[in-house]
Amino acid sequence: MSAPNVRVLYIDDEENNLQAFKASFRRQYEIYTAISAAEGLKVLQNISIQVILADQKMPGTTGVEFFKSITDTYPDPIRILLTGYTDIEALADAINHGDIYRYITKPWNDLELHNSIKNAYDAYKAKIDLRNKVAELEKTNDELNRFIYSISHELRAPLVSSMGIVNLVKMEGLYNSSGEYWSLIETCSNKLDYYIQKTLQYYKNNKTISENTAIDFHKLVPELVELYTYADHETTFSVDIHQNEEFYGDVFRIEVILGNLISNAIKYQKETEVNKRVSVNVNVRREQVEISIIDNGMGILNEHLEKIFTQFFKSKVNQGSGLGLFIVKEALNKINGKITVSSDPAEGTTFKITIPNAK
Amino acid sequence: MLNSHKTVLLIDDNDVDLKINSKIIKISNFFEEIVTCLSADEALNYLQQTLNNDGKLPDFILLDIQMPDMDGFEFLEVYKNLPKRLTGNCTIAMLSSTLDFGDIKRAEASQHVVKLLKKPLLPKELAEVLKKHLPS
Repeated sequence: MSAPNVRVLYIDDEENNLQAFKASFRRQYEIYTAISAAEGLKVLQNISIQVILADQKMPGTTGVEFFKSITDTYPDPIRILLTGYTDIEALADAINHGDIYRYITKPWNDLELHNSIKNAYDAYKAKIDLRNKVAELEKTNDELNRFIYSISHELRAPLVSSMGIVNLVKMEGLYNSSGEYWSLIETCSNKLDYYIQKTLQYYKNNKTISENTAIDFHKLVPELVELYTYADHETTFSVDIHQNEEFYGDVFRIEVILGNLISNAIKYQKETEVNKRVSVNVNVRREQVEISIIDNGMGILNEHLEKIFTQFFKSKVNQGSGLGLFIVKEALNKINGKITVSSDPAEGTTFKITIPNAK
Repeated sequence: MLNSHKTVLLIDDNDVDLKINSKIIKISNFFEEIVTCLSADEALNYLQQTLNNDGKLPDFILLDIQMPDMDGFEFLEVYKNLPKRLTGNCTIAMLSSTLDFGDIKRAEASQHVVKLLKKPLLPKELAEVLKKHLPS
């Protein structure tokens, strides 16, 4: 099968060759011919050509020189060089500078030439397809970025207003004025907000390029603990940090990782425990930082330990989103970190992570 | 509580939030007077007029980030060139529902902003900022 709409330009200073080419291929291709490089350029200016064949030996401009001259102006057509001589220098030049797809010796064999043109056209199509796909992908990416931004603002802003109203209701002493309705609204709003935040974390983790900056764990860890203990005063945190080395890492992802683990440690406490404890230990070494987060909470069942890092895995005990630890794992993957977990329903859970020092 | 501060200026294009936050500040008794503006432009006009008439300038500004036409950061660009009589005696905190990392970093990097508060505004968080940055 031939593609009838393949537009081929053939440049040769011998009229006979042009005629012979036309005679052989006019049924298969839309053929344009030119008697010199200058004439060939004129054709290119007016018609969108997909495959160019050029004779090497022409007075004035050679085939390779012609191809070189159009690399910037007409980069898309696929080039085939025809030559009557086995000219090694022309061949080397053609490969190195002319971006030439095939090299065919004259007199040509019709079948060989036909196959070359067909393959050249396929290469042309692949090139254009790829470019279109890249453009499409860039557009989708752009839209996704805008979508993420709009989730983080437009979509969240009215939700946050509702949460503000609930706060106001509390301040005015009206929280219990309508049975449990206000508290139900509050629970729903908080849940929705939590999902929005986790979704954003997930996408940001996927898209943001890793950027390494100096991290001071003496500052970072207490800040995170303060952030997550804001609404909870029952849990006692003990933070122990050893940092005598400089540490460089991706602060966005490290915050995501530690934030999720700290908030889990608070969330999955034993309700009956009087002495709720979480300890965070950080040990910065030259090659890596080792962090452990140990709680005396409800623990994780043995048979669940393998699954906790998978998306949407939820324990039955406490309604989580099934996203927190999944995001932790994804973020660690991006920065070549590792995590292990050990747990005992009687004692609590210990997460240990190591993150390489990018210094 | 801390009721010795005088005037607060709230700038937010969202009238619901403006209403909520005014009410929270009123109930908490943080300020004697609350002025609200629905855009950065309106706020700048208000400040300019108050300066011209030798009126009561705000001691504290709560500034939203995302607003149409002129956003919070653009407001700051104009604000910093206003007379020292205002800028020398006024503290600004930004208030936003943003989770965008870029916005948060920019707010934290700004010289004129003491803190980026997150919506919904909690009286306790505002009280802490006032205690730290607005000595009574």
